[in-house]
Amino acid sequence: MSKSIEELMELVDKMPDEPAKSGEYILPELMAIAVAREVRNDDIVFAGTGLPMVGIMTANMLDAPHAILIYESGICDGKTMHVPMSVADQRAANMSSTLGGLIDTFGYYLQQGFVTLGFLGGAAIDKYGGVNLTSIGDYYSPAHRFPGSGGNADIGAMAGRTAFIILQEKRRFLERNDYTTTPGWWCWDFKTREWKPKKEVWKDTPFADCGPDSVVTDMGLYRFDEDGIMYLESSHPGVTVAQVKDNCGFDLNVERVKGKTRAPTYKELFVLREFVDPELIFMPLKMDYPPAIQSIIDR
Amino acid sequence: MPRPLRQRKHVEILSLEDAVKKYMHDGLICAYSGFTGFNRNPVAFAWETVRQGFKDLHVMDRHGSCCTWLLNAVGAINIFETDWMGWGEMAGKLDISLERRYKDKQIILEDYSHGAMAMRYLAGAIGAPFIPYYAPLGSDLLNPDYDALGRAGLRDGKNPKIAKKKFIQMEDPFYGDGEVVLLPAARPDLAVIHVTQAGDRGTARWRGVGTIDKEIAFAADKVVLICEELIPESELRKTPETNQIPFFTVDCIVEQPLGAFPSSVPFFYDYDAPFMRTMDAASRKEDDLRKWLDEWVFGPRDWEDFIGKLGAKRLLDLKADSVTGYSTRMMRGKKPAPRMTMPLSVARSGF
Repeated sequence: MSKSIEELMELVDKMPDEPAKSGEYILPELMAIAVAREVRNDDIVFAGTGLPMVGIMTANMLDAPHAILIYESGICDGKTMHVPMSVADQRAANMSSTLGGLIDTFGYYLQQGFVTLGFLGGAAIDKYGGVNLTSIGDYYSPAHRFPGSGGNADIGAMAGRTAFIILQEKRRFLERNDYTTTPGWWCWDFKTREWKPKKEVWKDTPFADCGPDSVVTDMGLYRFDEDGIMYLESSHPGVTVAQVKDNCGFDLNVERVKGKTRAPTYKELFVLREFVDPELIFMPLKMDYPPAIQSIIDR
Repeated sequence: MPRPLRQRKHVEILSLEDAVKKYMHDGLICAYSGFTGFNRNPVAFAWETVRQGFKDLHVMDRHGSCCTWLLNAVGAINIFETDWMGWGEMAGKLDISLERRYKDKQIILEDYSHGAMAMRYLAGAIGAPFIPYYAPLGSDLLNPDYDALGRAGLRDGKNPKIAKKKFIQMEDPFYGDGEVVLLPAARPDLAVIHVTQAGDRGTARWRGVGTIDKEIAFAADKVVLICEELIPESELRKTPETNQIPFFTVDCIVEQPLGAFPSSVPFFYDYDAPFMRTMDAASRKEDDLRKWLDEWVFGPRDWEDFIGKLGAKRLLDLKADSVTGYSTRMMRGKKPAPRMTMPLSVARSGF
């Protein structure tokens, strides 16, 4: 007998808070949960489409129920029942506080300074957390041309802190991007044509101290040191520090590694699979529940 | 652009075919409503534009959409001034035809950020020549070398709708709050806006997000509304606080039910993600794309015929419910949508 959604909701707090074992979850799930854990209960979060959205929705259903989710099409504090495929999806607008437009989200909320956390994707990232979403190679004759900034550059520059989710490959983790779409802790000063700390380029603006805070990849979790340089905080279960270094295009600081990334807990997996993406839009496949979850559902 | 009024606009109600014939021209600067390929794209208008063969368009918009996908599929856009060249987010991120044309140097792309394009439209809407905005200092978006329209020699002032500079960076002269960027107002020739309901005088209403549609209505010289329902103006005047576009900005109204397909019109119908995926798949090979265009754009007699081709089953699945504004009958991913009665976040924590 399958359980009703109300019955499943009541099971959430019965699910164990222990980390799942290897093989009981898939990598995209681990990444989405790693995103969710960056969200604090008092955050105002501005997130992009994709895994960032899945992660912050999960956080909103678990440990950060009072975090406010802003979606760039004009949605303030959406309380979703079904996962949106776009930030303009009516699903994201469900039970929102107000609905407006881009001037609301980028002007009234973001440039006014309300947004404490931005959660974004990217095609490539440099060691200072600067992100490229525009082009690889020469700007006018690129080897690859991506869709471009969208809201990434605005949110990444003006949210109190920003987290990125990005696939890790040597060619995506770089000393310097071919094109800096979203400035990191070092960026261009085009008045002097110098590469400078963001704090100097943005000096006296309200956003000089805003910038990258963490990076989630399919191999590890990263933060930034006092000089704004990325370091490895933990590698994911099953990934060695050496493998992470091998897939990084700059000389990565691994001195501060604190062990392995915590695997998703059974409770987190249950919420993600049952309430965030049961339609399998973002997750590639539905795994069978591990016995620790299934036995509680069957009880 | 500020246009001291000499003559008031008087709205006309036209068929889709006639509206495109009258308001579209080769080389026009256009903006389309909605958000990416998902929400209130005036697809029927872009579709008819393709059928009538207009070309050399300059799209000044804050993102790609189903409209730009169609126009790029036939190479109708020469200049694309925007911040996001994708179109379908989770249903087809890259616009393959656009990428192909860009690599062949048949189209000029001018990059801004999303907030910057929004601010440019705000300036255009309120008649300001430019607007200061912070983001994103230090980004290559504001690299003076990366000014595609300037490089192409188009910022020479010959076209009054193309700003003479992409931006100017300056120090805040009033409060000393660091460096800011001045962005030129967006001043398109034509805004095409898909709305839920339009009154017969032109007052318009939508439900769901507003994106930047009110701003593009005021920023553009000419405004064409495509509506799901054309209703008596007096009906819309009963609850004016739920209307968004004042009638005196509107030039033309076209009543075209399902005119935003495959994007959504909240509370009317949902987006059709599977259909968008077939568009994306077709664009990957030029032969497949030609076949797709022949079947879905040039084949149908008119938009009604196009919608008829989709079949009743599909339209029933897309029909939005009147409470949530979307449909749970579409197969968007690999599993059907569960029945939900309350968001888990609210069930667990309330407000």
